[in-house]
Amino acid sequence: MRRIQLILITLALGAGFLPAQDYDRTFEFHFDDQAIVVPKFGPKVEALPILELLGAEARFSLAAGTYGVLYGEHVIQFAIDHKVLLVDGELQEASEVPIASPGGVAVSLSYLERWLLSPLGFHLEPIPRGYRIVRGARFADSVTVRPVAADFGTTTTLVLSLNREAAVEVEETEPGTITIEFDNAMPQLDSSVRFQSRRVRSLTSSDQELLVNLAPGIGLISWHPLETPPRITIELGPARPTPTPAPARAPVVTRRGPRPVVIDPGHGGDDVGAQSSTGVMEKQVTLAVARRLARILESRGRAVRLTRDGDQGRALTDRTALANRLDATVFISLHANASTVASVAGAETYYMSLDGASDEAAAATAALENRAGSSAGGRSPLDLILWDLAQAEVLNESSRLALAVQGRLNARLGLRDRGVKQAPFVVLTGATMPAILVEVGFLSNPSEAERLTQPDSQQQLAEAVAAGVEDFLGR
Amino acid sequence: MNWRVALIALAAVAAVALLAWLLQGGKPQVEQVEFFDVVELPTPTPAPEQRVILLFAGRDGMLHPELRSVPLPEEVHERIRVVMSELLAGPRSAPRLSPPVPYPASLQAVFVDQHGNAYVDLTAPPKPLAGSSTELMLAYGVVNSIILNCPEVSAVQILFGGHEVDTLTGHLDLSRPLVLNKRFIASS
Repeated sequence: MRRIQLILITLALGAGFLPAQDYDRTFEFHFDDQAIVVPKFGPKVEALPILELLGAEARFSLAAGTYGVLYGEHVIQFAIDHKVLLVDGELQEASEVPIASPGGVAVSLSYLERWLLSPLGFHLEPIPRGYRIVRGARFADSVTVRPVAADFGTTTTLVLSLNREAAVEVEETEPGTITIEFDNAMPQLDSSVRFQSRRVRSLTSSDQELLVNLAPGIGLISWHPLETPPRITIELGPARPTPTPAPARAPVVTRRGPRPVVIDPGHGGDDVGAQSSTGVMEKQVTLAVARRLARILESRGRAVRLTRDGDQGRALTDRTALANRLDATVFISLHANASTVASVAGAETYYMSLDGASDEAAAATAALENRAGSSAGGRSPLDLILWDLAQAEVLNESSRLALAVQGRLNARLGLRDRGVKQAPFVVLTGATMPAILVEVGFLSNPSEAERLTQPDSQQQLAEAVAAGVEDFLGR
Repeated sequence: MNWRVALIALAAVAAVALLAWLLQGGKPQVEQVEFFDVVELPTPTPAPEQRVILLFAGRDGMLHPELRSVPLPEEVHERIRVVMSELLAGPRSAPRLSPPVPYPASLQAVFVDQHGNAYVDLTAPPKPLAGSSTELMLAYGVVNSIILNCPEVSAVQILFGGHEVDTLTGHLDLSRPLVLNKRFIASS
């Protein structure tokens, strides 16, 4: 009996040789022939020891307030309580944040695998008391997709802008559904982009596919991949009984009659723009002045097209694309300004600035894309040089148009002259004709706001802009 | 306790240890991670005072420079934080100028990639901002002030509340880093 007691005591003592692990509060992480026990921190795990286990260098920068992970050529920067992170120079947005923990920083297992391991070429495989870190990324690198659609007569152009290059195949997999398959990239739809189209019901992403659900009777006409910046343009139209190859130069909009002046009343729909202290909205002022301007120009025999003739929201890129497709003579975007200082007043006119290579590239691509039937594959360095020359000419013409319009505003209205300026405004990007943005006054200034609501003042503004346009076109 | 009992006890301990090892499937030794390493931080050397150029918004729709001497660190992230802190605090010498960020903002995070692109994350505006003038002053006040004072930075993208934005008030393209733009800096 005494011996049995002794054996039991000894067995209990022997249990002390087992590692003192509390599996409810820890995970084991194994990598090659090494393993560590990592504390859980709520639903998250300490991140730094796991990265060190791989041989990655993980450091906190007190100055930046960020953690930096270095592994081979890979660099990841992330910060506590921030969803955004930099992965190999690309800004990414996670669905959750890293949090401060006793070991420095803790992340969820999904964050760990998606944002810290996958970019370094690893993934997690579950084992009984934790995870084994295995070579090979589970996630293809993400690619952000910004969709913009423009509805025209019987067709719709869907432009999917990508934040990086990615190989895709576009196919109408079944009637009413287009599948865009990404090669080794996970598409993530940019939820900040408001998307509206009569012919596209929805866009959904799953794994490496993007599905476009079309309205009844609509099908795929053609698609083109474009570069710099990377985009995919998809032409949609009436579904055909049997698929036929897309025509090489499918016109999106057929212009009838003379080349129009395209007038863009700024903002619209949910986007009210600036507002005066009495509630006057920029979208109302710009539409009122635009309609008056259209009537004046039409009375002088000009063809005119408005980008909106009601209270509708329009994507900025759609407005420019419409002008390009109509081969407009000039593009005039009308806006009213706002400042935090109520006394600030006056009118100013902007034309496009190509400061910065990225803007130049965006402009070039937008214009190339807007040429009906253009194909990315057919562009040569000579095309780009010719484009640069053409764009320089357009900028030169835009500056002359801006000077003409601003000159007339100054002369006729006696407004404070804030001059002609250049800025990389989205609505002017990629315009292939002389294009300006006119700020007709400050709604934040009570007396200017009052003036901007008066029909007489609106008519005077429209006449001044029209006179500037005529000065330019009639030269 | 005689020697036989002691031998049995020793054998039992050995058996338990063997059992424990077998239960782990012969896996490598699991190492406990220790935290709370106490590292004595060296006393920081104060950064030397240098002149910084800060750009504040004028009523003419232009940015006006103010020169200020502040302790300016060499490290780029720290340098950006100092520049932004001074910029957000507003002008000292010209009461008619305004901070380019027209709401009480703070800098939440700074990222700098290997290409010289800086990403500065500001707190989001408490209510929507409006006007191209507001947008231009904010964007180029921040972008130009950082680039002019941080030689390592060639372009700056402004994030708001941890998010990328396409545009702030519907005019300027803020979806990508912006480069230095001297057009909005007043000449005198």
